[in-house]
Amino acid sequence: MANDDKRIGGALAAAACGLLGTAAPAISQGAEPKGKWDVDSALLYYGEGDGRVQDLSLTAIGVRDFGDERKLSLDATIDTLTGASPSGAIVADRPQTFTSPSGGGTYTTPAGDIPLDDSFHDTRFALNAGWSQPLGRLFSFNAGLGLSSEYDYQHIGVNAGLTRDFNQRNTTLSMAVAYGKDTVKPVGGIPTPFTQMPDAAGDDDGDDEDQPNRSGSSEDKDVLDVLLGVTQVLGRHSLLRVNYSYSDSSGYLTDPYKILSVVDPLTGEPVVRTPPPGAEGPTGIYLFEHRPDSRRRQSLYGELRQDFSGKVLQLGYRYSTDDWEIDSHTLEGRLRMPLGESSYLEPHLRYYTQTAASFYRYSLADGAALPGFASADARLADLDAYTLGLKYAHQTSGGNEWSARLEFYHQVSKPPSETLIGNQAGNVRMPDFDAVILQFGYHFKL
Amino acid sequence: MGSPCEVLVDTVHEQPAQAVASAVAACAWRIERKFSRYLDDSVVTRINRDAGTRIEVDDETARLLDFAELAWRVSGGKFDVTSGVLRRAWKFEAGARTPDERAIRELLPYIGWQKVSWHRPWLTLQPGMEIDFGGIGKEYAVDVALAAAAEITPDPVLVNFGGDLAATGPQRDGRAWRVGVEGISSARIPWTLELSGGALATSGDTYRFIDDGGERRPHILDPRSGEPVREAPHSVTVAAANCTEAGMWCTLAMLEGAGAEAFLELEGLRHWIQRGLPGRV
Repeated sequence: MANDDKRIGGALAAAACGLLGTAAPAISQGAEPKGKWDVDSALLYYGEGDGRVQDLSLTAIGVRDFGDERKLSLDATIDTLTGASPSGAIVADRPQTFTSPSGGGTYTTPAGDIPLDDSFHDTRFALNAGWSQPLGRLFSFNAGLGLSSEYDYQHIGVNAGLTRDFNQRNTTLSMAVAYGKDTVKPVGGIPTPFTQMPDAAGDDDGDDEDQPNRSGSSEDKDVLDVLLGVTQVLGRHSLLRVNYSYSDSSGYLTDPYKILSVVDPLTGEPVVRTPPPGAEGPTGIYLFEHRPDSRRRQSLYGELRQDFSGKVLQLGYRYSTDDWEIDSHTLEGRLRMPLGESSYLEPHLRYYTQTAASFYRYSLADGAALPGFASADARLADLDAYTLGLKYAHQTSGGNEWSARLEFYHQVSKPPSETLIGNQAGNVRMPDFDAVILQFGYHFKL
Repeated sequence: MGSPCEVLVDTVHEQPAQAVASAVAACAWRIERKFSRYLDDSVVTRINRDAGTRIEVDDETARLLDFAELAWRVSGGKFDVTSGVLRRAWKFEAGARTPDERAIRELLPYIGWQKVSWHRPWLTLQPGMEIDFGGIGKEYAVDVALAAAAEITPDPVLVNFGGDLAATGPQRDGRAWRVGVEGISSARIPWTLELSGGALATSGDTYRFIDDGGERRPHILDPRSGEPVREAPHSVTVAAANCTEAGMWCTLAMLEGAGAEAFLELEGLRHWIQRGLPGRV
């Protein structure tokens, strides 16, 4: 300091005057008494356009500090999903009738519309508990247990992690492992892959074994995730985080409600089928999809946080690649701008792009040999997604904080041209959509 | 304050002198109660107890934190209000042994203002970290007390809290206040300084030191290494416009070690530095 011939006198004298300037001290109390629980609660609405999926979700996360860095966290979520989601069948220039997943009835999609399975509604409950504590001076340990349940899906998961600080706590290395076991018990049973959507049984007695083209009532999936991360303080005003993660899923990874249209190999139009007399059933040939029974994904994430005298910029980039050949890039930015002493405004931009899964098909050609695996789920297609959002948060004098967040999401996908058949190139319709996300949050002490 | 406090009023009226004395005492007690890390209900104790969570601090504490942050910045991290945890390894009592390097290394993760999140009025310390206003609090109290005294009487007042002092102006007869400064232990002869306004602060090892194999090491620690500053002067006295500033100059000069004199010369400050003969006591 003295060596670089840069005097500090002026700054220090000014600061001392600043300290004493209003030296008649306000007789006020300092920090407010601490509550036992720190609670973050949020109400979130997610709505896709055109009457598709709507989700209303209520979450509460409570953290209880037992001192000495020992913390218990509990969170509970309840979700209500309604609306319709694309089934995978393609648009046709005539009405198409499908058998509902339960096998008990049919529904018809008008000509020119993307077929949606509108029997989609669900309530989901999730509970998670976690514990963290230091191990010695430099290590910290955490472990957790999670459960979630909806009418056709159960999840149980455990996780554990270890972090270690180095370099005067300027560097933190972390490692985490999570294991989850999921059980899917779809309405109507597990469809046998690549078999045809059957006619409606007409007697929905709920006994899955009666249904044709079904193999059992439930299937399992195991997911193992490993994460390695390093966080580095780059100075008083910036922080860099880099994470590598590896995820291995095995078991039933197929979506039991997704189908593929079988089309004429010359025209690319859906094959027309007439149900047997007296029966209700599909007016086309639709095969249940079939995905590989394992998926290994690796991703690398980098995040930089920079404080520009009160404004905090957060930039993130993720690259992810997997053995389904879905490679993705995510670019995300947030800028927190203080408004006065106790509020801030935070715009948010996100861009996401992915390549299609190797087995993604727009449709299947009639008479051609079946591929090993196939899915027409647009979420596995070549797609781009954009998010634009704004958050406003306000801290109350009591130390609580409420916030509101509004975001718009736009997703566009396109089928890889080599999967198109006949004249499809001219009249492809992908189930693209816009969604709006509205969230209210409240942070308080209990 | 952990040291004797006195107030001198150069007046012929007894009543205002009494009022000044009580006002100064009230300031001293209020600031001690609020910022002492030894008292269970002080703001500092609460901040330290709540390390790891975000807390809101009052305006006065916020101004002290702003000042501490600026001092940290201009000193390149040498002055740091989070360095007090090093006390766990160093005990400044006669005959205290040098702590082992491991004990210091284990404390370093809990030191460093760069690890503190301070967005007025919101303060978050990392778990295990502590702050204290040693090096600021007593000097600040002198200035606040002197301001309170000046509200009561137009007569000259001098406030002295354990050797850190400030005066509203010269004595009524125009002469400067004569201030005794305790000498180093090998020459216990007080010497005097003249003060006709502003403040004087002193930092040094007159009372507290450790004996490390013959080298007397004063109690100024470099928070970046956890080690006492080598070749630090035995005492530094600086004159400045107010006691808070003077005290900070003393601390920063001590932290310069062998460069203390050059540092204060460069800054153009009136100062008195004592470097006694090294040797056993």
